[in-house]
Amino acid sequence: MSLKFLVVDDSVTMRRIVANSLKNLGYENIVEAVDGKDALAKLAADAEINFVITDWNMPVLTGLELTKAIRADDKYTKLPILMVTTRGVKEDIIEALQAKVSNYVIKPFTPQILKEKIDQILANLQ
Amino acid sequence: MKNLNMSQLFDKLNDVKLLFQYGQKVVPVLQSLVDFMQETVPLLENINHSIADSTAKIPKASDQINNVTNATELATTEILDLVDAISNNVSSIENRLQEINCAEARKAEIMGKLKSFVSGNQEAEKLLEEYASVDITAKYAEEISQMFPRIKDDSYNITLSLQVQDITSQQLAAVDHLIDSVQERLASLIQDIDETQIDEFHSEADKNESGIQAPEGATFDPNASYNKTDNRQDMVDAVINMEKASQAEIDKLFS
Repeated sequence: MSLKFLVVDDSVTMRRIVANSLKNLGYENIVEAVDGKDALAKLAADAEINFVITDWNMPVLTGLELTKAIRADDKYTKLPILMVTTRGVKEDIIEALQAKVSNYVIKPFTPQILKEKIDQILANLQ
Repeated sequence: MKNLNMSQLFDKLNDVKLLFQYGQKVVPVLQSLVDFMQETVPLLENINHSIADSTAKIPKASDQINNVTNATELATTEILDLVDAISNNVSSIENRLQEINCAEARKAEIMGKLKSFVSGNQEAEKLLEEYASVDITAKYAEEISQMFPRIKDDSYNITLSLQVQDITSQQLAAVDHLIDSVQERLASLIQDIDETQIDEFHSEADKNESGIQAPEGATFDPNASYNKTDNRQDMVDAVINMEKASQAEIDKLFS
């Protein structure tokens, strides 16, 4: 399965770090978005995007709101969404799961964790 | 009847006398109170000025926090650029080294043929042996090749450590929000005393408003922390696998 990632984060540093990590894992096809609204626009414009990695805390449209907006569209009910965030409070994680994120990674992340979660999501898709 | 009136008159006079006696006791207390008020008013004015002064400085503090965030983001971007440049250079050197290794293999092949051609010519054989002993390219090429994975790992680890910038910027945004809240409280205190001053502070604060927004924007996590232990991810995984783990176990992880 050829993967095209959409990396959503308002921090340019984090976008680059996530993108670098994906490249290190062998994924070269990466698109970036600066917030949830931008992500929705990129997702609508590019049908090849089949994996979303998003931060939670962003201006305009948060990662949680983005997840809800994506899941509200029947086209994207199975689109993998990985939340990568600093928010480690139990209630937040439960809220994200209720919004139907595919998995959840705490910042700062390690490449091993990122790979593990991507692999888990892909395994669950099959 | 006359006696009764006189008795009432004396009673009244006695009351008046008591009143004067009480007044004599109260007057010093009242005087002390007045003195106290006279001393307190300048003190209160001082407090008011201090609050006003502190409130006026808050937008500057908030501005400085935003400057720090912007500066660290810029510096982080520069570091990331440099790390990318190092990685690209390492890849280029690695490619060149591969070419050197290929050339070395070819050289060894040619040397083998040369040896067979000069077989019996002792001087030529000796020279070829000497040439082989001084040719250290192949040996070092191998050593250098082994360094590349380490350099790449180190570069990548530098990149990963820069996640601290995103996390500290969220912490700073939280501090910025706290400062804004303090300013609002101080401003409302001053408003009770002098409405004109508060207008100045608001306009000053509005002028300096920048970058990071308060919670309405929800662009930061006030609890963000740079913690590299696996423990926090374990907690997340426990919640995700809630069907497998009991709620008590999850609560224990989060306690």
